[in-house]
Amino acid sequence: MGEFFQGIADSFTKTFITEDRWLQLLKGLGVTLEITFFALLLGVAIGFLVAIIRSTHDMNLSNRKCHVFGDYVLKVINAICNLYITVIRGTPVVIQLMIMYYIIFSSSREGIIAAVLSFGINSGAYVAEIVRSGIMSIDRGQFEASRSLGFNYTSTMIHIIIPQAFKNVLPALGNEFIVLLKETSVAGYVALQDLTYIGNLIRSRTYEAFFPLITVAVIYLVIVLIISFFLKKLERRLRNSDH
Amino acid sequence: MKKLLTAILAAAMMCTTAFALTGCGDESSQGADTSNVVSSIDDLPGKTIGVQLGTTGDLEATKYEKEGSKIERFNKGGDAVLALSQGKVDCVIIDNEPAKAFVAANEGLKILDEPFIEEEYAICVAKDNDELTEDINTALNELKADGTVEKIILNYIGDDIGKSPYKSPDGVDNSKGELHMATNAFFEPYEFYDGDTVVGIDAMIAQAICDKLGYKLVIDDMDFDSIITAVQSGKADFGMAGMTVTEERLESINFTDTYTKANQVIIVKE
Repeated sequence: MGEFFQGIADSFTKTFITEDRWLQLLKGLGVTLEITFFALLLGVAIGFLVAIIRSTHDMNLSNRKCHVFGDYVLKVINAICNLYITVIRGTPVVIQLMIMYYIIFSSSREGIIAAVLSFGINSGAYVAEIVRSGIMSIDRGQFEASRSLGFNYTSTMIHIIIPQAFKNVLPALGNEFIVLLKETSVAGYVALQDLTYIGNLIRSRTYEAFFPLITVAVIYLVIVLIISFFLKKLERRLRNSDH
Repeated sequence: MKKLLTAILAAAMMCTTAFALTGCGDESSQGADTSNVVSSIDDLPGKTIGVQLGTTGDLEATKYEKEGSKIERFNKGGDAVLALSQGKVDCVIIDNEPAKAFVAANEGLKILDEPFIEEEYAICVAKDNDELTEDINTALNELKADGTVEKIILNYIGDDIGKSPYKSPDGVDNSKGELHMATNAFFEPYEFYDGDTVVGIDAMIAQAICDKLGYKLVIDDMDFDSIITAVQSGKADFGMAGMTVTEERLESINFTDTYTKANQVIIVKE
């Protein structure tokens, strides 16, 4: 029995203490958070933009012919957005990451920028569809009331529709953020030292599977718990205005 | 609340734009940098070194981390070489024979004359499986004695490639069942894909050993850093992937006698 615990203590020491491996794990966590954070910003920016274009098109042009020049422009931009969503949602994120790193950024050493761009662009496609569903879910009456009060189209979107839509899509957006965080675990494919990569690195040095894998899993779980805690809080704050 | 949301959105967009712009700036400044030339082992400190995760090259290169080198570890040796030819790393440290195959396949790369370190390959078996270790050692020594191992190696390295392929003797029995070999089949000429079968020096020696012992050989291809864990946990019976005996590995796994010598070399851009 004593031997058993000695074995556990040994592999614990090997996994965390030897060569300051806990510090490496911490650095890996930093890289994971860095990629996730910037990809999140990029994804949200792209997502909202694409969603607004797509829903503007769907609300105004889907059932009628183009009249003015602006209508044609909108049609073209909408087609581009559609293509973007189709391609990005239709291909695995690992492949997109490798395309970004080995083909598009082939002359650059900045793996992290390639990762942020590919995860951000990937997330943007999903966010776009989530936000679009939110915008389309707002009753048409809200739109008409706002227009009759003298708001133009843009300010109706910004002040009336998007705030309500945002509240509706928050749970789904939270889902997407959590998925994004976990998807960054493939960053090791382009030699980025993220959390999963450090776990693999320690595994390749100690030949112990238990502690590195469980530790990495627990760290991801804890971050997701923290994210969901704040999302819940935000959801509650936004719901206050319902009363 | 609405104002807050708008502000957050605007801030997010601005951050992203600013970030994307700085990213472009970094790229152009990197492109002009030409001081990252490695021409001997002494040049390694401070450079960016590409390796395959968990290999001897990785273990040895990691020692240079203290001297300011940056180690980029890839899942496959080929990815490290690709990164080298794109200038993402300054050099790649990898086993001699695969290095030759990579250099032959990629223009503009060369192998430095001085070997990085010398090493010997062996087969790894789980710690509690002494019986298999002994069986493999017996078979391996017989194969070394009758020249089979040398023939197999000469079939893949040197001037007479393809002239002495290993063929299973007639009437071998594989009544004892299957023996699973864990390997990483992106390591020419030790193990690589020919069509959809894994061939190469390690695969053929493993076949010869299985023929001697009366097993049917099954090859499981996986990431290099998973091989030892797979053998340890019984997912595979033995691991064979140009694997060098090291102190750290011996703590977790047993090794058989060595079957060939090799070098770690440094690949650089011409």
